[in-house]
Amino acid sequence: MGMEQAWLIPVLPLLSAAVLILVGKYLPRKGDWLSILAIGASFTIFFFVLKDLTTALATGGEFAGGDSGTDWVSFDNFTLRFGFHVDQLSAVMLAVVSFISLMVQVYSVGYMKGDKRYGWYYAVQSLFVASMLTLVLADNFLLLYFAWEGVGLCSFLLIGHYHERRSAAEAAKKAFITTRLGDVGLLIGVILLWRSVGTFDMSDIFAAAQSGQIDQGILTLSTLLILLGAMGKSAQFPFHVWLPDAMEGPTPVSALIHAATMVVAGVYLVARTMPLFEAADGALVIVTVVGLITTFMSAFMGLVMTDMKKVVAYSTLNSLGLMFVALGSGLVTAAMLYLFTHAFFKALLFLASGSVYHATDELDIRKMGGLGKKMPVTAIVFTLGALSMAGLLPLAGFWAKDELLLTTFKHQNAFVFALVLASVVVTALYMARLVLLVFTGTPRDKHLNEHAHEPGLLMKGPIVLLGVLTVVAGLVVFDGVGRLLGFPGGFGEFVFSHEPEAFHVNAGIMASSILLVIAGLAGGLYFWGGTAARAKAVGERLPQIQALLENKFYMDDLYQWLIDRVVLVVAGVVAWYDRVVVNDTGVNGTAAATRFGGFLLKFQQTGLLPNYALFMTIGVVALAVIAFIVGT
Amino acid sequence: MIPIESFLVLSAILFSLGVYGVLARRHAVLILMSVELMLNAASINMVAFAVYASPERFEGLIFAVFIMIVAAAEVGLALAIILRLFRNRTTANVDEVKQLKW
Repeated sequence: MGMEQAWLIPVLPLLSAAVLILVGKYLPRKGDWLSILAIGASFTIFFFVLKDLTTALATGGEFAGGDSGTDWVSFDNFTLRFGFHVDQLSAVMLAVVSFISLMVQVYSVGYMKGDKRYGWYYAVQSLFVASMLTLVLADNFLLLYFAWEGVGLCSFLLIGHYHERRSAAEAAKKAFITTRLGDVGLLIGVILLWRSVGTFDMSDIFAAAQSGQIDQGILTLSTLLILLGAMGKSAQFPFHVWLPDAMEGPTPVSALIHAATMVVAGVYLVARTMPLFEAADGALVIVTVVGLITTFMSAFMGLVMTDMKKVVAYSTLNSLGLMFVALGSGLVTAAMLYLFTHAFFKALLFLASGSVYHATDELDIRKMGGLGKKMPVTAIVFTLGALSMAGLLPLAGFWAKDELLLTTFKHQNAFVFALVLASVVVTALYMARLVLLVFTGTPRDKHLNEHAHEPGLLMKGPIVLLGVLTVVAGLVVFDGVGRLLGFPGGFGEFVFSHEPEAFHVNAGIMASSILLVIAGLAGGLYFWGGTAARAKAVGERLPQIQALLENKFYMDDLYQWLIDRVVLVVAGVVAWYDRVVVNDTGVNGTAAATRFGGFLLKFQQTGLLPNYALFMTIGVVALAVIAFIVGT
Repeated sequence: MIPIESFLVLSAILFSLGVYGVLARRHAVLILMSVELMLNAASINMVAFAVYASPERFEGLIFAVFIMIVAAAEVGLALAIILRLFRNRTTANVDEVKQLKW
């Protein structure tokens, strides 16, 4: 069992999804154990694959990755293949996806208990896990696109899980349509590359790009289109609007899909296609700019949002923006490290929010307060997650942020670095706000506070485990820790673009980041501690900014206007054309014309014999005349 | 011998008279008589060509015999129909038989 069996990793959840969809409702407990079993098996197989991978790396020399899979269809010049490719990048993603999905599925046993569509939930979750695992293992762009659409579909189905609620159905639609715009870009980009190179295989395309075989214009265009796809799925500006609304779905869905896995598919895509981004002109600059805009917009919006899950969603947007900034440097190490640690603390934050929701049936943080006394364990792990997000030493988020700052400092210009440093403060601010408003202070709604209780073991277990990882996961940056675990070194030695990037301490950067985090946390305490009166005062003195942030920079209104005034108008014109020209005139019209012709012709049947005789005679005479004329 | 054109002209004239009869007569039996006239005109045409154009061969004469046979059969059938018509409607006037109209 090794890298050759890597194809089992996505196939097992896929099979469980198929079984659950077809016969799920006849299985005991609607089959949740089957889903958990399949994902657990994938996770176990992953360890074997990882062992094989580290052994191959330890033997030294060039390692191109382990391949497996089968051919699907062969044409003359190229082959469509269900190919799976294991290398360090996909190994990190596999770890994240399989572990977090396992945690989420176990958590869901407690959270989704008694749900009307329990079996369907598990079926679609399994399908999602299968698609995501295929996505990260795919070795050709076609399979990647196939899996890309698969995760989009499952996200739609899961966001709309409570589709009896209008807002949930609308949110699912919004998510799907927004990411669709990006997906179109991805498809066109992939097809452009296929037309230039003649194959869908990723390594062939990268080799062709690096050797200059692809025309520069086509290369840049297709890279930007692929970036468009990544921006759609990873909710970068201007596609970020779907992610906060996606919180309509069940909380475990938010934890799995919209925190740890699907939204990072875009980051993974850019990391995987980094050779293309390096070869194209200016693509990396756009990545950085988009990432910065997303980071700051979402950080400021997170300061005023009142729905607990939405604040965490905005923090996800914040993190995704930072990952994109990291990728903009052309190196994958920092981004992947941030992705790795982010998966743990973000999933933790979401699952803990789910526990709060499960206990109090409320998500509005204005009604919360003082929950720390009633739910101590949840409060502690949530705070750990929040501090990790803010980037406090020695939690995982700190090491990831530090690596990010280092990369930005060394490989990007000072302006970008300064902005990233500034974002550290804002992140700390809004995370502190969330923790303080929910878990500390005096309860603002007595009734809510009475009913708050710790969740059961099935829900607590995964959260605590994630909490532990949030604390220690960052230590993988150190070479010593890495070697202890069997890797060639720390994270930077394992996942890198061109050369290993060992972690080293830049005292100045580390000190400034620690100071800024503390400043942000202190600021949060100052504004939102106790009764949060000072924050309210600031809000009252800057009403326009408050309104701007609460209305999400009016982006949703802008999009709605575009839809109403542009898209629907064009659609109306097209519909008019289809109805009037194609249907009424073309289809109905020809039928009506034929019927009218028939109506006119029937008067020929007079029933009088002499009439018929006359017609015959005229016909014969006419033919004779024509024959005579043509003959001579 | 008289030139072939005289027979052809005769045939043409007889044919035209027949056509006029078919179109202008109101009584069904008279229309039938005119049809017979047309058939015989065509027969004269056939025989004329047989005698003048290829005397050693006789397709034209055979064809004339065929025409006679077909005419006989057709008249039998047509008179039967007219008889039936007369028995149903007590009129043989084709102008008054127009039930099969639109």
